[in-house]
Amino acid sequence: MLVYPKAQTKWLWIIAAYLFLAGVGGGAYLLGVAADLIGGEQWTFLSKAGIILGFPCVAIGAALLIFDLGTPKNFWRAAMKPGTSWMARGVIILSIFMILGVIHIAFWIWPFPNVLEGAEGARQILSIVGAVFALAVMIYTGLLLEASRPIAFWGAAILPELFLVSALSTGLMGVVLIGSIGGAAKTTILTFEKIYILLNVFELIALGFFMQATHRVTESRISAELVLRGAVAPLFWFGVVIVGLIVPLVLVILDVTILGGTVAPIAASICALIGGLFLREVILAGGVHAPLKAGRFEYMLTNV
Amino acid sequence: MSTNVIRYGFVIDLKRCYGCYSCTAACKAANHTPKGIDFAKCIQGEIGTYPSALRQMLPTLCMQCEDPECLTVCPTGATQQDENGIVTVDKNLCMGCKYCMQACPYGQRHTVDEWSTYFPDAETREMDPYQLYAKSKWEEKYGYGMAAKCDFCIVRLREGKEPACVEACPAKARHIGDLNDPESEISILIRRERGFQLNPELGTNPCVYYLPPR
Repeated sequence: MLVYPKAQTKWLWIIAAYLFLAGVGGGAYLLGVAADLIGGEQWTFLSKAGIILGFPCVAIGAALLIFDLGTPKNFWRAAMKPGTSWMARGVIILSIFMILGVIHIAFWIWPFPNVLEGAEGARQILSIVGAVFALAVMIYTGLLLEASRPIAFWGAAILPELFLVSALSTGLMGVVLIGSIGGAAKTTILTFEKIYILLNVFELIALGFFMQATHRVTESRISAELVLRGAVAPLFWFGVVIVGLIVPLVLVILDVTILGGTVAPIAASICALIGGLFLREVILAGGVHAPLKAGRFEYMLTNV
Repeated sequence: MSTNVIRYGFVIDLKRCYGCYSCTAACKAANHTPKGIDFAKCIQGEIGTYPSALRQMLPTLCMQCEDPECLTVCPTGATQQDENGIVTVDKNLCMGCKYCMQACPYGQRHTVDEWSTYFPDAETREMDPYQLYAKSKWEEKYGYGMAAKCDFCIVRLREGKEPACVEACPAKARHIGDLNDPESEISILIRRERGFQLNPELGTNPCVYYLPPR
């Protein structure tokens, strides 16, 4: 019999906000450079919107991460041993991404917009290198959790993919939000929204796979029960599924088909962004450590 | 590891343990841990339903794994393993990311944000000298915002004494010894009484063995 199933309490909202912001920053930057590389003249606004989101989001996330440390003054030591863990490698990935993001913003948008505007080749190289690191930022957030082996809920192979899809969709909606407020061309926003419909469906499928992959072992079955029926369930069903996925999907479909205007995309993107934050929190709050097994007895850890 | 080096190991005899929490209390006294932090926690387990229900205590401590998960994930190199297999945290290197707490399968990593006490009127009253002593000892050894853990009382071991929890156990359920020596008391106990490790499937190879309950 299991007594007092309890999820981990060490990483909650601050880490969830960091995982979310890293996702939004990476996703928005990736879509921004993609729009710049593939699209034409009319894509410039959304492209710049994406690139301008990249650095600040990741930087705020990294600041939250440092704030959550027990000993913030030692944070730089994390970058010293990349061979140890995904946290150490992540610090290096984040640092390089932030440097590239600052360069991209400084020499294309503000305060020196003309430097990269003229040098098309240099901008493309920077974009491609930056995109690789943006992808790494998005995927590493899932790998970070996966390294915690006693928490089987975080060990699902689809978790990094779920985070990647969520990062892309929230990043895209961040771009749509800035584009709609800033008055970007409606055709470009509609194209982004069509991509969002696809990403949203992928995310729903990934979330479904993630949940169905959890009932293999005791601790992840407890996690799933916690998320689907237990203490985390209201946040999951209302925050992630309804606000984060269904509402934006309906709003975006309406916007693409009949509505038009700017209200629907703004509302949809705010909902999708909040849902992305809730998704990270739900995954963190559902992390239950494996029980200790001694003969027929199973002991739940209560101090984690 | 070569066999002529001591590899400290524990044997906890579950059929002798009756759950008196002496180990928890002795550990607390020896390591000066603040409120809520137990390096030697006892967990209660139950199976079955009345009238065929069973209860069994599980005294835990850091398993000093041969291949520790906490060492694997530690991004700063603060977690270290000495030649006797004892895993320690260098408080000058730890940044308090709590990754080891997520990675440890046995819940034996702890962190303290600030000193706290069990006394209800702690805010209004000045701390007595005993608490001040404990607080200063904790700060000297572990500090705040870092990972702290059991180290098999390595200082006592080097002085030739037993760890505090072993010394305190009234049921003589805890034994410490050298796992590399096949003729040591604990090696013989593990062989004769089918000692087992907790959650061996994670491949950490803990140095704490349990003897099965009756």
